[in-house]
Amino acid sequence: MNSEMNQPIQSATAEMETPRSAVPVWLVILMVLLLYWGGLYFDQHGGWFSPQVYAPYASVAEVEKFQPPASGGPPPQGRRYYDLICALCHNPDGAGKPGQAPPLVGSEWVLAEGANRLIRIPIVGLNGPIEVKGQQMNLSMAAMGASLSDEDLAAVLTYIRQSWGNKASDVTPEQVKAVRADLANHPQAYMVEELKKLPDKIPSK
Amino acid sequence: MKHGPMIFLAAFFALSLSWFGFVLKPQSQIGRQMPTNTPPAIDIYPQGRPGLARQGAEVYRANGCAACHSQQVRQSGTTCDVALLNPGTNRAALIETLKNEKLDSAEMDWSFTQLPQTILAGVEKEIADSVAKSLKAAGAKAQVIIVPIGPDIARGWGRRQTVAADYLFDNPVMLGSLRAGQDLAGAGSRLSDANWHLLHLYAPRTSVKDSLMPPFRFLFERKKIGTHPSPDALRLPQEFAPPEGFEIVPKSEARALVAYLQSLKIETPLYEAPFTAPQPPPTENAPTNSAATNSPASGANAPATNAPAK
Repeated sequence: MNSEMNQPIQSATAEMETPRSAVPVWLVILMVLLLYWGGLYFDQHGGWFSPQVYAPYASVAEVEKFQPPASGGPPPQGRRYYDLICALCHNPDGAGKPGQAPPLVGSEWVLAEGANRLIRIPIVGLNGPIEVKGQQMNLSMAAMGASLSDEDLAAVLTYIRQSWGNKASDVTPEQVKAVRADLANHPQAYMVEELKKLPDKIPSK
Repeated sequence: MKHGPMIFLAAFFALSLSWFGFVLKPQSQIGRQMPTNTPPAIDIYPQGRPGLARQGAEVYRANGCAACHSQQVRQSGTTCDVALLNPGTNRAALIETLKNEKLDSAEMDWSFTQLPQTILAGVEKEIADSVAKSLKAAGAKAQVIIVPIGPDIARGWGRRQTVAADYLFDNPVMLGSLRAGQDLAGAGSRLSDANWHLLHLYAPRTSVKDSLMPPFRFLFERKKIGTHPSPDALRLPQEFAPPEGFEIVPKSEARALVAYLQSLKIETPLYEAPFTAPQPPPTENAPTNSAATNSPASGANAPATNAPAK
């Protein structure tokens, strides 16, 4: 190297050249080791770019560990929306109001084994004479539940099927979704005769 | 220039790599977050701020509050407490279990009358789970309480760390980077009194003796008292009071700013930032409850009740 430097400059116009030399092996090894360490660190602390992982949590599994346990029972928004919307006519205790709405407690319409008919009533409404628990009524209900999401409507229906001594199966958001899709070309309110023709359970496709 | 194309390519590569890392990837990661409800909560979170608070955000921005106040709570870890909710009927079994778990410390209240009673604090999730399980086996009812920890949380600035979802309705997000003043992410929870805020904005040293905060007197109006004193007038201590015959009345900007400060709350557990919220007392009337929580604006009108004494 020294000998090269000491040589006289050949011509003034010639550009200076730095001599090329190979990258030292130890540097390459150090880079590889650092890269490996970085990869390990990312794997242990990075959460793999999940939008739900923030430090101090390191992975989705760790966030999952601290989630509150499922409470069981009907989802809490069922009661919220029942009290907001349904209770005005059906009463907060589900007993109904004479001249306004039939009772839900012990009603064969609410407690039916499948919820096919029940789900349809809040989505498009129900008109005309109906018999509930042996009583004749002639009322009309608007499409009170049409604006609720599938999850919320399912929660409300589950709430009325499992409260005040009622005991029936859950209504799932999937069932509500299927029925809502089926109702796309049935915008008008149901008559009882029409509802009775439908099967009790949701027909599987 | 020698190696011109090479330098261009290197610069292009470096800039495009940072664009991918700082713009594109975060956008695909959290760019489409939606407000959602995290069970067991019923309400979706976050909800947009009410109108007056939204105007207040502009006042906050215009006055450069973010230069000295951050809005981000950090968290360094998460611990668990075990709370006894119900001692059950079999006291002997419960006491036996607590002794087996080596929880019979001197401070333990064996009467179990102050419920919920914290049995164990600041432990790892696995230990808390196993203690809760053995308490359950003894016929008692116990709950594992998730407690985020960290310096910010110890200062009372929030119950958990802030995450991207907390800022969904903020535009721009005023995170701030300097803490000459307090962090304000949870200001509405710890300082809920509108009068306190108004006094503090007019003269910070009325409430904090050595406050560094500049007074924001231009958000207030000095008025000559007419036939009657204004019901909105500030009740200032003698040292800061205007001369006899005058009163200090907040302008609409001050009211909006206070409404905004009251709306800053980090109280909802999220999936990505879990903690156990204290159980609210059961409310029978859901509609009135939600109406009350949606209008911090009503708090900003509180000075109306604060008429000067004379």
